Amino acid sequence: MTVLVQHNKQKLALVVDDSVLQCKVLKLLLEEEGYRVLIANDGARGVAMYIKHQPDLVLMDINMPVMDGYQATRKIKSLSQSNLAPLIFITSMDTDKAFIESIDAGGDGILVRPFSPAVFKAKIKSIQRISDLYSQVKSLQQAQQKDAELAEQIMSGVIKNKNFGLDRIGLIQQAAALFSGDIALTAQSPSGDIIVLLGDFTGHGLRSCIGAIPLSETFSVMSKKGFSLLEIIAQINIQLYDLLPVDLFFCATFINISNDARSVYSLNAGLPDAYVFDDKGQIKHQIVSSHPPLGVLPSLLPDARLSIVSVDDTDRVVLISDGILEARNELGDMYGVERFEDTVKQGILAQNVAATVEQNVNGFCKGMAQEDDISLIDIPCGGWQQDVDKKNIVKQLTPSLLDEAKSSSQSVWCWQLSLAGQRLAAVNPVPLAMHHIHDVEGTGEHWQALYTILTELFVNALDHGVLGLSSEFKATPEGFSNYFLAREKRLKQLTTGSVEISLSYYLLKDGGKMDIIIEDDGNGFDHKRFCVNDSAKIEKSSLTYGRGIGLVSELCESLEYSKKGSWVKASYVWGQEDLNA
Amino acid sequence: MTIDKFVYENNKYVDIAIEGRFDFSFHQQFRDSYSDCSEKGTTFTLKLDQTSYMDSSALGMILLLKDHADKLGGKVVINKPNETVKKILQIAQFHRLFTIE
Repeated sequence: MTVLVQHNKQKLALVVDDSVLQCKVLKLLLEEEGYRVLIANDGARGVAMYIKHQPDLVLMDINMPVMDGYQATRKIKSLSQSNLAPLIFITSMDTDKAFIESIDAGGDGILVRPFSPAVFKAKIKSIQRISDLYSQVKSLQQAQQKDAELAEQIMSGVIKNKNFGLDRIGLIQQAAALFSGDIALTAQSPSGDIIVLLGDFTGHGLRSCIGAIPLSETFSVMSKKGFSLLEIIAQINIQLYDLLPVDLFFCATFINISNDARSVYSLNAGLPDAYVFDDKGQIKHQIVSSHPPLGVLPSLLPDARLSIVSVDDTDRVVLISDGILEARNELGDMYGVERFEDTVKQGILAQNVAATVEQNVNGFCKGMAQEDDISLIDIPCGGWQQDVDKKNIVKQLTPSLLDEAKSSSQSVWCWQLSLAGQRLAAVNPVPLAMHHIHDVEGTGEHWQALYTILTELFVNALDHGVLGLSSEFKATPEGFSNYFLAREKRLKQLTTGSVEISLSYYLLKDGGKMDIIIEDDGNGFDHKRFCVNDSAKIEKSSLTYGRGIGLVSELCESLEYSKKGSWVKASYVWGQEDLNA
Repeated sequence: MTIDKFVYENNKYVDIAIEGRFDFSFHQQFRDSYSDCSEKGTTFTLKLDQTSYMDSSALGMILLLKDHADKLGGKVVINKPNETVKKILQIAQFHRLFTIE
């Protein structure tokens, strides 16, 4: 639009010539072409008027007093790198030397006297046409630059600031000159798991980041509400499929690090391999792409599944987009996988993967223009659970509150959900329950404990009750993977079986109480083994399984199993100070 | 960088051969190569044996071709990609969306 506006404005020409007669003639001709005309009678005055009026066209004589045309032109051109006003020399010196010197001084053309008015006008037209084209390109370039800046601003300002745990997660985010759509997101789920996404939108500039805002919203909201990783991925895929044009898609790797289970769950959809490294920098596992990029298919492929790897606390997960591997040096060689893996190893030994890789890649490229965004995320596998455990420390409740909790009989609301068969396999009821609670009672820190209680009890009912899995599977690291594979298989085949969840909310004078009842139609399980009031025992026994019930009984006022473990009631009580916390 | 197009049996089969780097600079040319093929059930074969490299915008262009073919009730076959291109298709898991031969 700005280009059009410029066209409509009357153009301004500056004539620099010491001959008054010449000036008059040129002025007349230019006015006939629709220009407003200013006149300067020597080079120095010409420069001054140029600065003051910023004309659209300059006509310059060569031989003039005070400052000649070449000098004046050099001055004007040095002043106006961004201004594209064409400058034409008008002279009677019909020599090669004059012609070459005019162009060397920065002139855009030369017109030798005598010339007819028609030739003069044609010359002006042609030079103006080129200059218009030039300014059009320039303004398009500026618009593109603005788009790219906006894209980067959106990515850094709006999205990056929401990320979780950046004090422990290493990041490289080096945008190419023309920002090209890499995005890194991190969040913590209510259970303390770390959820990480590294993705790459196809395309450049603003085009590549239209999907970024809704994507980051969905990612952060669903992570916080405790949806499983696959549910989050499926939702993002639907969203991007609806939003993005056919040729635009999103390659991404998703990671969920569960400290509780010492496992990493992951899905790579279209990015280069992601890695699990041990503390010596050895590769323990590679997460290869197993699904087309998101936004291509209306729903995930039926066989889309997370890969599960057992990890130690000292392991690290490293994610990259293709920008690092494809970074080129001056010989045109790519950085490549081998260099990358070696450098990460050095980085792990030096205890700073991101800085080591960044330095090495930049050293390799030695100032070559960066073609694509360079992104890396380095996440420690251990040390996340502490944050949650601290938050979950049971508050000391006053005796009067506890008495009231025991005697309260009238709930202010109840909520119930029954799931059976395939629905039980497909739907996670915990976020639904939490969503309801947030809707009715608002959000608050104290709900985090409730989330943990619901999750643990529901998972026990489903895994041990309905699916009949034994948690002793999980006694060894490999067992964890086997456990989840068996779980996934049985879930797929699930046609019978049901779980019912009910919540009853009681209002107390200085707080509140939630009764949770979960019942399944399975054969129960050996809950007594894990019903230890003193969870320290479990802690000491360093069992890798069976922590759930201990944790729940610590969080709850009372926990009561019956029907061989297929029925459980938990009472969670909180005081007013929890609400204010 | 050239695109060649061969048409067989009254537009039932359209071969599109791409030579050199398959990237965004091909966008318009590539689209032009198939947009006038509107025969029902056309099989589009992308001949990639002379394609040295492919970037992500090329993947996007192939998806556009698939969209076009799907609307005609036809299909897209990817033919003889070299090792580099095969790797790119592999990472994007395009063999789940196309026949690659």
